[in-house]
Amino acid sequence: MSNRKTQSLIVFALCFCVVLPWLARVATAQKKTAPVEATPPPVREEFKFGKVDLEVLEQVNLLDRRFERDGMVLEDEATNTYLSKIGKSLIPAGLTLENVTWKFRALRDPQPNAFALPNGSIYVTTGLLALMDNESQLAAVLAHELTHVMARHTYLFNRSNRKKFLTMNVIAIVGSVTPGAVGMAISLAASIAPFIVMSTISGYSRDLEREADHRMVDMMISAEYPAEEGINALKLLANDIEGEQVHLFYNDHPELRDRIAYLTSYLGSRADKITPQMELNRERTAYFRQMESAMRHNVQLSINGERFRSALYFAQRLVDFHPDSENLFLLAEAYRTLGPRSPRLTERELTNDAKKDAAKKLEKRTDEEIEREQLATPAGQENWKAHQQKSEEFYRQSLAAENPVAMAHRGLGMLYEKLDKKTEAVAEYEKYLELAPVATDHDRIQRHIENLRRTPQ
Amino acid sequence: MKYPHSIVCAKMRKGYLTLVAGLIVASTPALARAQFLHPRISKKETTIRNVVILPAKVNVVRDSMKGPEGMAQESDDLSGRVEKMLADVLEKQKHVKILNTTAQASGEGDAQQRYSIADFQSKFDDLLPRIMKKRSDVKKARFTMGDEVLNLNLDKSADAIIFIRGNGQKQTGGKTAFRLMVGGPGEYLMLRIGVIDARTGEVLVYTDPTLEGDPVTAVDRLRKALENGFKKLPAVAM
Repeated sequence: MSNRKTQSLIVFALCFCVVLPWLARVATAQKKTAPVEATPPPVREEFKFGKVDLEVLEQVNLLDRRFERDGMVLEDEATNTYLSKIGKSLIPAGLTLENVTWKFRALRDPQPNAFALPNGSIYVTTGLLALMDNESQLAAVLAHELTHVMARHTYLFNRSNRKKFLTMNVIAIVGSVTPGAVGMAISLAASIAPFIVMSTISGYSRDLEREADHRMVDMMISAEYPAEEGINALKLLANDIEGEQVHLFYNDHPELRDRIAYLTSYLGSRADKITPQMELNRERTAYFRQMESAMRHNVQLSINGERFRSALYFAQRLVDFHPDSENLFLLAEAYRTLGPRSPRLTERELTNDAKKDAAKKLEKRTDEEIEREQLATPAGQENWKAHQQKSEEFYRQSLAAENPVAMAHRGLGMLYEKLDKKTEAVAEYEKYLELAPVATDHDRIQRHIENLRRTPQ
Repeated sequence: MKYPHSIVCAKMRKGYLTLVAGLIVASTPALARAQFLHPRISKKETTIRNVVILPAKVNVVRDSMKGPEGMAQESDDLSGRVEKMLADVLEKQKHVKILNTTAQASGEGDAQQRYSIADFQSKFDDLLPRIMKKRSDVKKARFTMGDEVLNLNLDKSADAIIFIRGNGQKQTGGKTAFRLMVGGPGEYLMLRIGVIDARTGEVLVYTDPTLEGDPVTAVDRLRKALENGFKKLPAVAM
């Protein structure tokens, strides 16, 4: 090969590397601005199952069973029936889809999320159920997920991914068999290709998400839910209690503020009316009554999952709604486990860089280490003092309420143990064991009592 | 410059030995990676006699030219095989008694029991990245799951609970050919196993046995990797 030819090939290969990502971005941006037509129901009639799609279906059916087997599904008949009732009200009457059996279930996960499997199983996490304010907002979430199933998004996404991976691998093979500098340049392109593929994949995914958002509005209107509550649901999701919504360049979903903006504009004149506040309040009360048990479960899951600020936020909402003994106990637990942490993240802590730093720190240190570090600061000391006082106060209120829960004694025992008040701690633990002799944590508490008795005052 | 014949021979011999050693290491199918013991175990202050193995979570994917594909059924089968083989290795090599995986441990009981197991499994998943970040800190007794482990209400004689995680990759013929041409990682299975004190929740042992080759069909290689992974664990005196 002549030098001139080699040089032009190198220039071509390098141009390919530089221009392709730019083209991908332009293509994505053009797709973004394309209007989406409202044509309910969002069913892809032309979709035909291929071998690859049936393989995906087989995998997700197994995944469904695994969720159940591994104790991830919330086995609360009332909650799952309620979810089914809302979900089915959004599905157009008489609609049947090949290889789809509708199932709506709550997933035991404190992180607010929802997802749909292409076989028709729709999961909403307890974290998301606890975050929503009313049934309409939950309907919006379900409508979004229903669109993914009806429009066969998972299958389309999988097919598209496979093509992109194949292209990327073909580039790599061409690079490996082409000799000299040209081969090196193509290999370079191949090594950059995963990033290009990732951005086009997430671009494609963003388009599907956008479609699901628009169809969500259409479905809510058809089912006579106030569609503006879909936007309010997104606003609630934007409430980053744990400081974990880090923006990455290849995020699948469009940013929440973009979604709120385009949905507000799409909804525009289609919103027949803005639901009066009084009606919303009534709906909120009904929703909380229906979801109280799942919300309580979620507070416990949040504490177990070291999501202490979320636990406090959700427990406070429960107490505001219904200040009974169990909810007061959960609020006391949330304050006790919050320890020296601040109840809310500051503006500075909610910047993207600060969130990335916090995530890195969390990866390296254990929760006990982070707590010790914070206790060593004056602010941490002050928080701990305030939180232990509030915790004690709410445990006492829980015990003073009608039908007091015995667990409040256990909570007080743990609080006193941490404060090194050994006699009080033993007394509370003993009271707990007396009131709950067959509690699952009987052995653990007994062990605490023995340890406290062994160590001198 | 010309080297004397003896020096040339010595250099060639050294080079040849290095090459042979390199080839042996490269072709060894089962590679035991590091294993870390809590000081109480390494100083033999605590002996692990009875253990409960919680359901393993091992995931394998089929890597093809068109990207990774799920292998849910094969992953479930492999999880069960790893559990059984680990039990066998511990029993035969270390004389550790494997306590019956009760309904509670396998999560087959009522919803509350399934929840307890699931919550501890996810607690281990939360702790695992921190252990992996600095595995040697297991030797400093830095990691614990807390005494909430007692809430599992396992057999009273249980000294430890074993958590197994793993991920692996099987390749299609096309992808194998691609790898031979372009390079890249081959087929493998990497396990991450934590042995947790059943009373205090402390991480007593952490090991990450790894094997090369098809993870789905591995039997002898898997056994070898597990044996090597628990090499340092002191055996129970008979």
